[in-house]
Parts: sequence; structure tokens; C-alpha cells
Amino acid sequence: MAGNVARPHRPESPGRAVTGSIGRVIAYVVLVVFAVAIIYPLVWMTLNGFKSNAELFGDAWGLPTTWRWENFAKAWNLGVVRYLLNSVIVTGASVVTTILFSSLAAYALTRLRIPFAGAITVLLLGGMMLAPTVALIPLFRLIQALHIFDTYWALIILYTAFRIPFTVFLIRAYMITLSREMEDAAIVDGASRWQVFWLVVMPLCRPIIVSASLLQALFAWNEFVFALVFISDTNLKTLPVGLLAMQGRVLSDWPVLFAALTMAAIPMIVLFLLGQRQFIRGLSEGFGK
Amino acid sequence: MSQTSRLGRWSMLLWVAPAVVLLAVFVYYPVVDNVFLSLYRWNAFSPKEVWVGLDNYVNLAADPVFWSALFNNVAYAVVSVIFQVGGGLILAAVLEELVHGRWKGLFRTVYFIPAVISLTITGLLFQFIYNPQIGLLNQLLSGLRLDALQHSWLGESATAIWSIIAMSQWQSIGYVMVLFIVAMQRIPRELYEAAYIDGATRAQAFRRITVPLVREMTVLAMIITVSGAFLVFNEVQVMTAGGPNNSSHTLGTWLYKSAFFNDQMGYAAAIAVVIFLITVTAAIFQLFLNRGKVVQY
Amino acid sequence: MRTTTRATRPISRFFALAMTAGLVLAACSGSATPTPTAVPTAAPSPSVAAASTEPAASPSPNPSPAAELEGTITFLHKYSDPRYAPYFESVVAAYMAAHPKVTIQIQAESDQGVKDKLRVLAASKQLPDIYFSWAGDFSKKFVRGGLAKDLTGDITGAWKDSFVPAALDAYTYDGKLYGVPITLDAKYMAYNKKLFADNGVAVPTTLEELLTACDTFKAKKIEPIAFGNQYGWPAIHYLTQLNPYFVPAATMATDYDPATGAFTDPGYLNSLQAFADINTRCLTKGSNGISHEAAQAQFLAGKSAMHYIEAVEFFAFTEKGGAPADFANNWDFFKLPAPASPAGDVGTLEGAPDGFLVNPGSQHLDIAIDFLKFLTNADNAKKLVADLGWLSPVQGSATADDTFAQNVTVVQDIAKAKAMAIWLDTVTQIDVANAYLNGLQAMLDGTKTPAQVVADIQAAAAKAKTEN
Repeated sequence: MAGNVARPHRPESPGRAVTGSIGRVIAYVVLVVFAVAIIYPLVWMTLNGFKSNAELFGDAWGLPTTWRWENFAKAWNLGVVRYLLNSVIVTGASVVTTILFSSLAAYALTRLRIPFAGAITVLLLGGMMLAPTVALIPLFRLIQALHIFDTYWALIILYTAFRIPFTVFLIRAYMITLSREMEDAAIVDGASRWQVFWLVVMPLCRPIIVSASLLQALFAWNEFVFALVFISDTNLKTLPVGLLAMQGRVLSDWPVLFAALTMAAIPMIVLFLLGQRQFIRGLSEGFGK
Repeated sequence: MSQTSRLGRWSMLLWVAPAVVLLAVFVYYPVVDNVFLSLYRWNAFSPKEVWVGLDNYVNLAADPVFWSALFNNVAYAVVSVIFQVGGGLILAAVLEELVHGRWKGLFRTVYFIPAVISLTITGLLFQFIYNPQIGLLNQLLSGLRLDALQHSWLGESATAIWSIIAMSQWQSIGYVMVLFIVAMQRIPRELYEAAYIDGATRAQAFRRITVPLVREMTVLAMIITVSGAFLVFNEVQVMTAGGPNNSSHTLGTWLYKSAFFNDQMGYAAAIAVVIFLITVTAAIFQLFLNRGKVVQY
Repeated sequence: MRTTTRATRPISRFFALAMTAGLVLAACSGSATPTPTAVPTAAPSPSVAAASTEPAASPSPNPSPAAELEGTITFLHKYSDPRYAPYFESVVAAYMAAHPKVTIQIQAESDQGVKDKLRVLAASKQLPDIYFSWAGDFSKKFVRGGLAKDLTGDITGAWKDSFVPAALDAYTYDGKLYGVPITLDAKYMAYNKKLFADNGVAVPTTLEELLTACDTFKAKKIEPIAFGNQYGWPAIHYLTQLNPYFVPAATMATDYDPATGAFTDPGYLNSLQAFADINTRCLTKGSNGISHEAAQAQFLAGKSAMHYIEAVEFFAFTEKGGAPADFANNWDFFKLPAPASPAGDVGTLEGAPDGFLVNPGSQHLDIAIDFLKFLTNADNAKKLVADLGWLSPVQGSATADDTFAQNVTVVQDIAKAKAMAIWLDTVTQIDVANAYLNGLQAMLDGTKTPAQVVADIQAAAAKAKTEN
């Protein structure tokens, strides 16, 4: 794995080095080409949403001749709006429950002397090794037995259960390194554990909570297997499954499908752009341990 | 500090109760149930389950699609480690070293964006890109006068799974790159300065300083990519549903197809048990490799 | 370090909600209001009709003479395509208008999506009251599992007589009727008359002539037959018609039955070989990666000479169905021709009805059956023919006044057929169907020979025998 970052064999002087500039240029070119390769498919996807069917078939590379916003309206009405709302509901609810249960558990494991702490820690963190796909068939029977098949609850509960391990991992690692001054002070002042948790610890954990929330939102929003199997009603489908159903429907009007894909991609991109800094900071604080 | 009464200590379990209950019921119980379910033959239409003992596992061992799916998962893992972990590491290093200021943020964002987009969206998008007639890839090859290289990418057994794997690299390399950037930013600049004064090239600095110091992140990235590789479902299901001729199945999609198309749920449960064993073993193995090897600086 | 003591809600969630609100507001300003879905229940309102076209003939509600019907039922169909869904929505709406205490919830799936959806629902004991099912072993599975109601006693008298007998036969097992057919379908080779005329090609009457015609087109750089095999069934449809030509009818019937299937007749190999020849000389290359609809688009654009499609798809070739005028007046069809000396039955026509089964566990069997009766009454059958361009198994529903010329010919052709061959992937047991589906895909990309595929099919049939 040789780094092809600069021309070898020449000693570098501190500061800007002229001799490595060709290497720098090459590296820049590689970075830019790569960036274009990464972003172009998405640009193509968006442009295709504006084309007509004939244009799509005729000239894959070209720009649309007219900007057909009606494709987007059509996609919106064909179901994107419904799927979007469903995704928001399920994602929002599961973020709340996951963060809540995970921080409660993380706090308990790091601050309270609960019985079986070791075993519980292993149980909670070990869950990271168990995957949704593996659990599909048994869950299938379980969800049906609990009579929550084809409801939001099925997804919310499952998304929470399967993400608690990772979220506990993040929050716990962060809580371990928090200095306990303020908590101890609050306890001395007579605050209950509950109050310390909500009023002192959670605000201090804001960076990791934001990061964990974003990661949870990302997971829930894009989750596919459970949404595919446990939701049947078209009105309840989340975005990933709904888009697949749309592909089965708009078999001959592809620009509408591209418009749907574009609209579906936007929320997460926007969310990421807005939360980028918190996200990165949270990751670095969480993984730095 | 034994001010907490005995009752108080047990009531503290309430803090972890929701998490533990959810995990026990929905994450751990299915693992056990899978084993039981795999010992029967049953499907959506059979009124009752038929005990077949280890038959499902015997059939699994003799099933060429199972082995092909396993191979696909392994291929996925190997390629992902090379491109995502290896490539991500190099990209991160280049980005950190060469690009500064606003440009760094821009590049980082651009590379990362595919990772936040749903696999369904990218799967459907790449289905079009790989379309033999109007897709970007064949058109690009045609434009570069490389017509001979054109294929029906998702329609040929030989190329289907590799096309999907390639798409996956496109999607995830930015994610791993960001993880590495996070790790690299914690390395003190002075180490590099000292190395350069001593005459080291950038490549040497990379090998001797960067790589060892991001070791923890490397291990984490490897765990993520390898276990992700064995759990692949979404993109394969969307792009080819395992075809053509079952060539692009991964263990996950073969499980799904066995259960919900081929009417063999017991068999699917057996596949699930195998996936479980593989992912747990891989995770434990990787963690074991990393035990106590923290590099101090 | 931030010192805010705000509540734990992260900024990100606020932004997400704000963004969503913005998106929703933007959408509401210019489009039909979406039905907001209720938070966790299992009974949301039926799907919104997306820009539903006004029906050509308004369906006359057939008021049920019995006591007032009351309740909610679910109705699953595979016609989510926006060209077809509005018909079902309007029929349901009309029925609900005539029966104010009845609610029917529609679950619209796609053709491919319904295949696994049905199994998921069956396995979770959530089969809808009325659900779509293909004829053949596909439906028989539900019958064997006790998941389909025996309708022999419910479909009687005038209602029963209104159907073409062959359509009811397709859903009859062991002498009992389990399904209600709503469409009639057959598979034909559509062709571009101008391309044929310009290149001096006549309509082929034998398989050999078809292959020669393909050679002619290929020499002129015209794609002979537009073909996309993305989900595997388009290739199966070729075999569905070819098998009866090469294998004697009685042998075929025995083999298609999972209890007795063996597939040892050499005709099966010959049939696969014939398809291999068609593929080499006529079909689009790389077809596994092309969808059937994309191939159809090529045919519609005049880029290929022929295209093998179902009669229910003919509508897309008419002006009313959206085809350009010069194309709409320029196409016709013929049955896939048999080889010059067939070992099987030339009079068999590939085709089958599509229909619905009833869940015996339904809480409202009376509503379910009454609705099916409504769906297949004369007026709604005529509406189906007029709006969707399909053929209905209800007799007298397709006449020259309410449908296009080619459809009328199809009706006559179906009446003339000695027997109908149901789609190979739904008429056979799933393992055999898979062996065909996968084998054909492998043949198309060159990784298997017909002989190898036959071996696979025989193995699958043997397995199916033991498991039954």
C-alpha cells in the first residue's frame, strides 16, 4: 500500500515544497476526477427527472430541452408524499425512543451501581453483532403474534431494538469520559438521580446525542428489509419500499421515477448538510475513546 | 456510598429495562428461534410444520446457490475492504495533507453524500446506469470508443454481482473516508513536522505515522465493512433480486427468496443461522485481533 | 463547550421537521391533498386516486337485494400501474356509494411485487378478504393450504352463466370452483406491418418461417423481435406456447401436475432448443438486463419488427392508449407459429384468465362475494373493456362498438382455441417454475445449454414429487 501522494526520494523541506508540486497536481486531479465520478450519477438522476420519456431514450447525456416540473408533481402525487410522511413518522418516533432508552441505559451503566451491570453491558453491546436480516423469519411470526403487523409500531419497535446496541455504545463511551463534577455537585445539592440525568448529564451529552440522532435517523430513513416485509398497506409504506413499488408501477414513464428518486434523496442530503458539523464532531468525540 | 437501599438498587434496573427487554425479545430471541425453525419444513401455505431434523442444513450444503451466495458475500467483503478501507484511508490522507480550508470541507461533503442516500434510490439509479441500451456506462464506453467492453451489466451472470459491488463502493467510500479523517485529525501535527525535518517523504510519513495511529479506526472500519458485506440485501434485491439465474444472490437475498418466493421457510431459517454464525465469528475474530494493541504516542 | 441547558431535542430533528413542513406546504399548494395517515392503526383510508380519469361509461350500481351489507373488507390486486388502478378505484367507489355501510380498502401491488407480497401476507395470516392470484398451481397452493374459499356454491345461476366456461375452468380444482376471473388474456406476436411490407416479409405460418423472417430483418439491421427478460417471465411465456407444440397434450398435463411430473419426454428438450434458436436469430441481445417495458418502447418507436405480448397490453398500441397515430394504424398480430411437424397440439393457445380468490377466514364473506359479483357484472365488464382495453371473461362484453378491432379478433381467436396454455411459471409447482426461470436466464446469457436446463427441470420435478 504505497502512498502515491508525492514524488519519493527527495527530502522535503518544511513549508511549501516546490519539488512535490507535480505530485500535488496529480493528486488534485485525482481528487477532482473522483469527486466528479461520485457526484455525476446524482446529477444525471436529477436531470433525468426533467426529461420526457423520448428524450431519456434518445439522448442519455444531454440536457432536457424543457424543464418538465410536471414530472415532479406527478411523482409527488403518485405516492412520494405519502411515503415521505410515513418515513418521517417512523424515523422521528424511532429516534426519540432509541435515544431515550439508550441514554437511560448508558447512564445507568456508567453512573449507577445496578445489579448484573457486566452482564447487561455485554447483552446490550453484543447486540451489535446481530443483524436484522438474520432475525427476519422469527420476527415475522413474532410481529404477527403481537398483532402489530402492517402498523407503524412494528417498524418503530424494531428500529429501536436493533439500534440500541450501537447507540448505547456511542453514548456510554462518551459518558464514561465526562467529568463528574457537576453531577456530584447536583447530588450534594439534593437532586435525585433522575433530575441529575435530565438536567445535568443529558445537556452535557448534547454532541453525542446529536450525532447518535443523526445516525439513527439515517438508519431508520433508509431501512429496507423490515419495511418491506412488515408493512403491506400502500398507505403505510416508507420511502425505500414505496419507491420500489413505484418502480413496479411506472414501468413506462421513467422520468417520473427519476423525479421521485430525486425528491426522495433530498431530505437526507439536506439533513446531512445542515448537521454535518455536529455529526463529525459527535463522531470524533464518540470514537476518540 | 451505600446510601442506596436494596430496593433502590433493584429499582435502578428500571433504567435499563426498556433497552434490555426490547433487545431480549426482538434481537436475541429470534436468534434462538431461528435454530428451532430451521429444523422444520414449512411455508406460508402449509397448514402445519413438518419435522425434518437437519435436512435443511444438508440441503444447504448441497445447494450450489448457497455456495455461490456465500462466495458473493466474501467477494463483497474483500472488495469493500480494499476499496473502502484501503481506498478510504488513502483518500483521507490525501485530503488531509493536500487540501485546506473550504475546499477540504467541499470535497469531504461531496464524497460523503452518496452514503446518506437510501440504497433503494442508488440501486434504482444504477439499474438505469447499467442499462445496456440507454445507460450511462455503456454510453460512456461507446463515447470512449470502447464499444467492445459494453455489457448487459446486470443481465449477465458473470458481471451482475460485480456491478452491484462496484455500486456499493461508490456509495460507501466517502463514509469510511470521513471516519478516517476524524481519526487523522487527532494526530498531532508535530509528529509530521518532526518526520519531515528528519527527511521523510510524504509516503514514508503516511506509512510510519498515519497508518499506525489510525489503527483503531482501521479495525472499526474493517468490522463495519466486513459485517456489512455479509448482510447485504437492499441493493441486490433492488437491482437484480438475485438474478440472472441466481448468480447475484447474497445470503440475505437468498434467504428472502427461499422464504417468500420458493416457499421454504425452514430452509431460510437455516440460512439465517449460517449468516449469524459467520457474522458473529467475524466480529469476534476482528475484535480479538485488536485486543490490547493500542498505539501510544 | 456549549453551556445551553436546553432540552435534549437536537437541532437536527427540528430541522428535519421544519423541512418536512416546508415540503408538505409546497406540495399542498399545487397538488391534490394527500390523505394523512393515522398514527399506528391498521385501518387507514383507501388509497388516493392519482389524477383519476373520468370513466367512459359510469358503472351502474347493482343494488344488492339482500339485507343491508355492513363492514370493511380488504381487496388486493396487482394493478397498481397508473393506467389500470383508476378503474378499480372507481368500481370500488361506486360499490361503496351503493352500500354506504361498506368500506373496501384497496391494496394495489405491482405484477412482480404481488408475488412475494402474497406469501408474506399468507404466512402472517393477514391475507386480504379478496386477493389476486394467477391460475394454475399458483392458486392451487392457496387451496391446498386452506386459504381459498370454495366458491362452487356461491357462483351459481345467472352469474355463473355469464362467464366464458374456459375462464371458470382455469380456477377449478378437483371439481370445485375457487376463483372469480376478471380478465381474459392470450399471448401473441405483435408485428409492425410497415416494416414487414417494406422488407417483403409475409406473416410466418411456421416456426421455421419465423426464423427466416428474423434473418431477413437482421440482415437489414432491423431488430427482429424486441425482447426484455428482466424478471424472467417473458422468456417463460415463449416456452408456455412452445411446450404444447412439442409435447403431446396428455403427457404435458401429467408432467405439469406436481404429484406426477417427470419431464422425460424429448419434446421438452426440443422446445427449449427451439427457444434457443429463436434467441440466437431473433431476440435482443443482453435481454436479462432489459425490462419488458423497455423492449416494448423500442417496438413502439418502430425500431423492431415484432414483439411478443399479451392481449391485455394491446391497448398501449392504440391511439386511445397513448400510441402515436402512425403506429396505431400500423400493427397487427399473429399467434407464435408451431414448427412444421409438431409432436404436440397446434390448437393450443397461450393464455389464461386473471382472477381473485376469497379468504375463507374473512369476517365478511357476504360483502366479498357480493363485491366480486358487482365487479363482474355486465356494466363493469364493459367498462373494463372500454377503459383498460382488456378482455373480460363475461360474455358479450367485448363488441366492435366498445373496443378496437384487434381485441375483437382476439375474442374470436380465443373462442376457436382448442385449449389454453396457462403461463408456465404459475401453472407448475414453484421448484419446477424456478428451474425454468433460472434455466432460461442462463440460456440467454450463454451459461447453460438446453440439455442442462432439462436436467435441472427433471431434478426439480422429482423434488416436487417427494415434497407433496
